[in-house]
Amino acid sequence: MIAKIGHLLLSGAFVASIAALILYAIAAVKEDKTIEKISNWLWGIKGVFLCISSVALIYLIMTHQFQYYYVWNYTSLDLETQYLISAFYGGQEGSFMLWIFCGFIVGLGLIKWTRKPYRAPVMFVMTLTQMFLLSMVVGWDLNFTQIGATPFRTIAQEMPNAPFILANPDFVPSDGSGLNDLLKSPWMMIHPPVIFIGFAMMTVPFAFAIASLWTKTYHEWIRPALPWTLAANLSLLTAIFLGGYWAYETLSFGGYWAWDPVENASLVPWLLGTAGIHAMIIQRKSSRAHKASLFFAIMAYVTIIYQTFLTRSGVLADQSVHSFVDLGLYGQLLAFIVVMLVVGVGFYLYRYRELPSPQEESKFLSREFMTFTGSMLLFILGFVIILGTSSPILGKLFVANPTPPDIQFYNDWSMPIAIIMAIATVFGQYLFWQKHNWESLAGVLILPLLITSVATVLSIVLGDVRNLYYMVFIFAAWFTVIGNASVMLHLLRKNPKLVGGTVTHIGFGALLLGIIASSVYTEPLLDQRTANYNQRVLAGDVFDDEGFPVTQQIEMFELEINRPKLINNKYMVTYEGFDVSDSPRPGQQTYRLRFEPVDGGSTFYMDPVVYPMLTSSSADNIEWSVDPHVRTGWLSDIYLYVAGSQYVEQRNEELERQNRRDPMMPVGEENGESTDVQNIEIHIGETISAGPFNFTFREFVPAAEEVLPENTQIGIRALIRVEHEPSGNAYDVEPLFAVYNEDGRSYTYSPPLEIESWGMNVMFSRVHPESDSIELTVHGLDENFEEDWILVVAEKKPFVSVVWLGTFLLMAGFSISILRHWKREKDTQKRSSAKS
Amino acid sequence: MKPKLIIGVLAIVGFTSLLMYNFGNSISTYVNFEEAENRSTSHVIGNWDNSQEYGFSRDTMQFSFHMKDEDGNVRRVVYPRPKPNNFEQATQLVVIGEMRNNIFHADEMLMKCPSKYNENPEFELATGGES
Repeated sequence: MIAKIGHLLLSGAFVASIAALILYAIAAVKEDKTIEKISNWLWGIKGVFLCISSVALIYLIMTHQFQYYYVWNYTSLDLETQYLISAFYGGQEGSFMLWIFCGFIVGLGLIKWTRKPYRAPVMFVMTLTQMFLLSMVVGWDLNFTQIGATPFRTIAQEMPNAPFILANPDFVPSDGSGLNDLLKSPWMMIHPPVIFIGFAMMTVPFAFAIASLWTKTYHEWIRPALPWTLAANLSLLTAIFLGGYWAYETLSFGGYWAWDPVENASLVPWLLGTAGIHAMIIQRKSSRAHKASLFFAIMAYVTIIYQTFLTRSGVLADQSVHSFVDLGLYGQLLAFIVVMLVVGVGFYLYRYRELPSPQEESKFLSREFMTFTGSMLLFILGFVIILGTSSPILGKLFVANPTPPDIQFYNDWSMPIAIIMAIATVFGQYLFWQKHNWESLAGVLILPLLITSVATVLSIVLGDVRNLYYMVFIFAAWFTVIGNASVMLHLLRKNPKLVGGTVTHIGFGALLLGIIASSVYTEPLLDQRTANYNQRVLAGDVFDDEGFPVTQQIEMFELEINRPKLINNKYMVTYEGFDVSDSPRPGQQTYRLRFEPVDGGSTFYMDPVVYPMLTSSSADNIEWSVDPHVRTGWLSDIYLYVAGSQYVEQRNEELERQNRRDPMMPVGEENGESTDVQNIEIHIGETISAGPFNFTFREFVPAAEEVLPENTQIGIRALIRVEHEPSGNAYDVEPLFAVYNEDGRSYTYSPPLEIESWGMNVMFSRVHPESDSIELTVHGLDENFEEDWILVVAEKKPFVSVVWLGTFLLMAGFSISILRHWKREKDTQKRSSAKS
Repeated sequence: MKPKLIIGVLAIVGFTSLLMYNFGNSISTYVNFEEAENRSTSHVIGNWDNSQEYGFSRDTMQFSFHMKDEDGNVRRVVYPRPKPNNFEQATQLVVIGEMRNNIFHADEMLMKCPSKYNENPEFELATGGES
């Protein structure tokens, strides 16, 4: 019932958006206020329908109605409330709905705030995008084709031919398959909404650009569009940051950035949005670059749709093993991107000749030229990344079955572009606030250049930088930080509200410094033996069994319990054991590693976690996932996870044994008691090995009266040293042997002593006076006994903190600019309404 | 105007061709194990052959398993890191590395996981390759 309502309302919202689209078009052409009002109402109705159906979907999720495919696929009974809510957008359909919802809210803002000539055309474009997005989730089954995939479809509709559905069409699973464990993270709750807020806001500059082409008013549109673009960029940046931090802190992807297509999907629109901001600023200040600001505003949104197409249509899934459910939306997504291209780029080209162009060329040393260079470089970088991400399509020009490009491709191109950009920011900022010629510019740059040189030399010396290219990069990054900082200091004295741009550029410089330090100078933490081995591998001195040289280095080390190892000549690392607990995840182990810096410094602990993935583990196979521990510091982070452990291996072996369920297993194996008892006859001073253990009988020790039973005839202890040979760990035990009288009969008394960490009991069971030896009875002596061990992968990443710092500065700079431009836009509105 | 335009066009053509040349060099094509014999680095797509022994050896510090490529060739693959998360769950594997003496030495492994869309990369790059 509720699902029916949800499904119907989604269709209603789709129909309402089509109606609104037509009416907005009429309102825009006829400049009719009444029709515009009606369309605004339709916009609202569409939004209400969408909200109700979203609530319906959340209701189905919260009440665990597993007959619905979406609910079954993404949730389960044991999911906590907050993750049940975020499971709403855990799937492709729900994430479309969230996107539409964000677009709806943005649209309300536009209806309220947009000025006269633009409102109807802007809303027309907004409605157009909403209509396409809604079409992805309506789930209409026309006879010849299917439009969209509704989140309200039942399992029976999803898999009509599944055997359990054929047997019982009303089949309702008792539990869902659950949200992917990796997504059960607080980041999951904020990361996607922030992305979609950014996507929705990035629609606004696109809509304004189209409206400006429509109304042929090419100057004014940037004033209302600029704060929206800045806000969209801030959202995307925040989303990128959250994603990177999430990947780094909890997903163990090894870093915060991997040039992954999905990451690129939010980076490229950000780059183009930033290019647009630069062009808009020139247009506002100097009435030029109209063409560029229109173009970038259009392209920023088109790239969002293009990347959505790449990541959701299954194009990437075939070729680069990126996995996204293919909902059969390929055609619709393709139509979406084609229409946006035609509406955007097509309209732009159609009007191109009419667009104002500057009367004269700008000089090289002008804010226009520098800012324009910045926006072109941002565009070029975006273009390079799009090219790389499009490899499954464009790569076919070169090879039949293309792979994604090497990571090196992205690095090779982004580094020089970043260097030029970095230097241009400083020139641009100096020229932005004051006219300069070469001479005067050189004059003001002397001090910043001096400081930059000192900082660069210090970085090179302290960081032991040997690569000339990196030196240039570091210089450019420091120059950006220091040059912009000096402009900022100047502005702070004049008008602190203007510092947005400089703060952003300082952030950019810091980001570059952080990126180069944390990626190029990451070093694995290893023990001396592994490090030596790796050095021999590098030198080509290691050969495998077949005589081929080994080329792969080992990037992990093993620790045995309570056996400290010297790591990187810097830390004494000791594995102290682990705890198993059921919270927050059942069966998770927290390992305890003690780090003692050898050069003095305070001891600290790292507690990486290993846990079984619930959604993907089954009765006969546990899948283990790791949760790294990142120790953040100002200078460097230590990133560490447990890649393997005795506990995990034993659990896997146990499971394998259970699966085989060998019926021929001897009975004794089951209770285990009888087989692992061993008697050891030993002389004083002698050492006897049993399995991996060595028993040494040191001497007899007299026993204290108190512990002996009454009427004891003999009471003696034996000092025994038990050593685990492979690990070298040893314990001294003093088991007791006594003979006492009771009711005229003699009894022996040998209480067992336990060595807890080995699960072993030692008893002094007999004395052989004739051979001058004693007998020990040892329980729990495992022939294959191994000390607890773990495998550790650890890296030291310098200055990740600076990456975050740079990101925060970028965010702060954007925020300051948003406030400034928003206020000015409001003031202009007030003035113009006061006039009329 | 004219010379500037020519310089501009030349710059764009030069840049684009350099970019495309470099792009073309940085991608390669997926091959099967047999083709991989004669190449230095290859990308091979396939599935885990779970009928044979697999696992991480603490002696060699390598994870080894058998993989069946798309043309049905089965080869042993060794990977100098622990077993990646999601290994058993993966519906498809991509190994990147070098074939030597009928053993594939993977430097990198990508796992494609069963259909679940989410906002973050669904498969994991098993080696940390950040910029």
